[in-house]
Amino acid sequence: MSSVLQVTNLSKTFGHGDIFRDVSFTLNAGETIGLFGPSGCGKSTLGRCILGLEKLTKGSVLFEGKDIFRLDRKERSCLQAKMQMVFQHPEVSFDPRRRLIYSVTEPLVYHEKGESEYVLHSLLPLIHAVGLHPGILDKYPGQLSGGELQRAMMVRIYSLSPHLLIADEPTSMLDMSVQSQILNLMKEMQKKNSTACIFISHDPEVMQVMCDRIGVMSEGKCEIMNKNNFSEWMQPLLVMDTMEKDH
Amino acid sequence: MNTVLEVMDLNVTFPTRAGAIRASQQVSFRMQKGEISVLIGETGSGKSVIGLAVLHLLPEAAIISGKINYNGREILSMSEKEFSRFRGRDISLVPQNPSGSLDPLMRCGKQISESLEIRGISNLKQSTEVENILSNLQFSDPKLTAASFPHELSGGMRQRVTTGIALASEPKLLVSDEPTKGLDYSSRKTSMKMFLHLKHIRKDTHLLITHDLDLARMIGDTIHVLYSGEIIESGPVDEIFSDPHHPYTEGLIAALPRNGMKAMPGMCPGLIDLPSGCYFYSRCPYQCEQGKTIHPAIIPVNGRRSVRCHRFSR
Repeated sequence: MSSVLQVTNLSKTFGHGDIFRDVSFTLNAGETIGLFGPSGCGKSTLGRCILGLEKLTKGSVLFEGKDIFRLDRKERSCLQAKMQMVFQHPEVSFDPRRRLIYSVTEPLVYHEKGESEYVLHSLLPLIHAVGLHPGILDKYPGQLSGGELQRAMMVRIYSLSPHLLIADEPTSMLDMSVQSQILNLMKEMQKKNSTACIFISHDPEVMQVMCDRIGVMSEGKCEIMNKNNFSEWMQPLLVMDTMEKDH
Repeated sequence: MNTVLEVMDLNVTFPTRAGAIRASQQVSFRMQKGEISVLIGETGSGKSVIGLAVLHLLPEAAIISGKINYNGREILSMSEKEFSRFRGRDISLVPQNPSGSLDPLMRCGKQISESLEIRGISNLKQSTEVENILSNLQFSDPKLTAASFPHELSGGMRQRVTTGIALASEPKLLVSDEPTKGLDYSSRKTSMKMFLHLKHIRKDTHLLITHDLDLARMIGDTIHVLYSGEIIESGPVDEIFSDPHHPYTEGLIAALPRNGMKAMPGMCPGLIDLPSGCYFYSRCPYQCEQGKTIHPAIIPVNGRRSVRCHRFSR
């Protein structure tokens, strides 16, 4: 299998010091790697660096064999359409003044220069697949729940059939039962499209369900573990296991 | 019997242009002294509305019926002036958003000692009392925390400071609204530890509002599961987790990642046009015949438990 993403010796420094140093890993199509760590450890920054939303201090990111930081704008734009990101707050990821239909069709209209109505028609199977009623797209983001918005986000992202998806705590703001719906949906979509995925979260249990390998970030280092090592490593962290109910 | 709080047939409705939002319907439960009751439910299930009603903080537009007895006194019909003697003294709130609830320009210790002042504790004793409270809240260096401003602390630490403010007034009833929301895993764990510790040393009467099943299981005594503004199942925590009766409770527990993360189909109905039958009918795996048209009443099962489901009505 060819690798979708190759990250070599990635480092990022802000004014006050290193965020992370020498992070290296490769990611294959259909594979999920998790980034785990407490708030402020640089998980999101690493995700943003890989997408090219942040400048790197050192190292390189090869996406399908090409270095995104060495391409000119046009090539980069084509490539970036194949890398997508899901953010933590679905309610601020959509333009609040536009109907959802605009935001959902926008990527395809932009990248493939299609007509909005035609694009919507081609998206209908996808909209049904994520469990949304097409009528809901006539509403504004403020009228919908977090779960519905995150589903709409899935349509928006998978409309471009991305090869790489970076999910930055996609469900930390959602309720338990909605979380399981969205994560199952993400897994299903990923399998169908054999998308490579970087899954950022601070919940070790979700990590274990979603990821093939897990990068644990602490003090600027990122240590990649396989699932078994991770479950051993996180055993002392688990809430239910370490605290006896009756003292 | 030592009943601290008794909520009887609480109905809260918000009139809007689109129709009446029935945020809470026929909610009844009681709390004994020293008991931790958990209201568990998802966004829009009406759990915070109950907390606000207990604190007399519902907006004026809300249409409220039913009764809330606190130590034998009816509080819903009290005037704001009458109730203000209770709020913050007898009944304290740990608010949902700790960052927005703390004064950014005041050191944390000072914010806690404000509650002590109300209790009439002298200036001299205040700082030792503050440190005492902070060490109970699992802070390793209470002196340092007391001297810090809120922005110098992490989200989890701020959450624990707001709990400290609520506890400093020695309330007879503590209401906490989503204390673990938005915290990362390790802060959440520390918060849970803190609540567990407080449960053992203080034995507060505590109404906990949350959607965090782990927290409920860890510290709760009694649990009330809310769905679309109604209590659909109540009972002792252990029994509810080991043997849930209502299919929604079953679904919630199965949706936890460690239980295989099985998703329930569909979404909660909107609170404006609720179905005439069972509110859970469209998502229910059993879909009994009566559920389609008849709304189930809440019925007692085995003495200590009750459930709102037709399958238990015979």
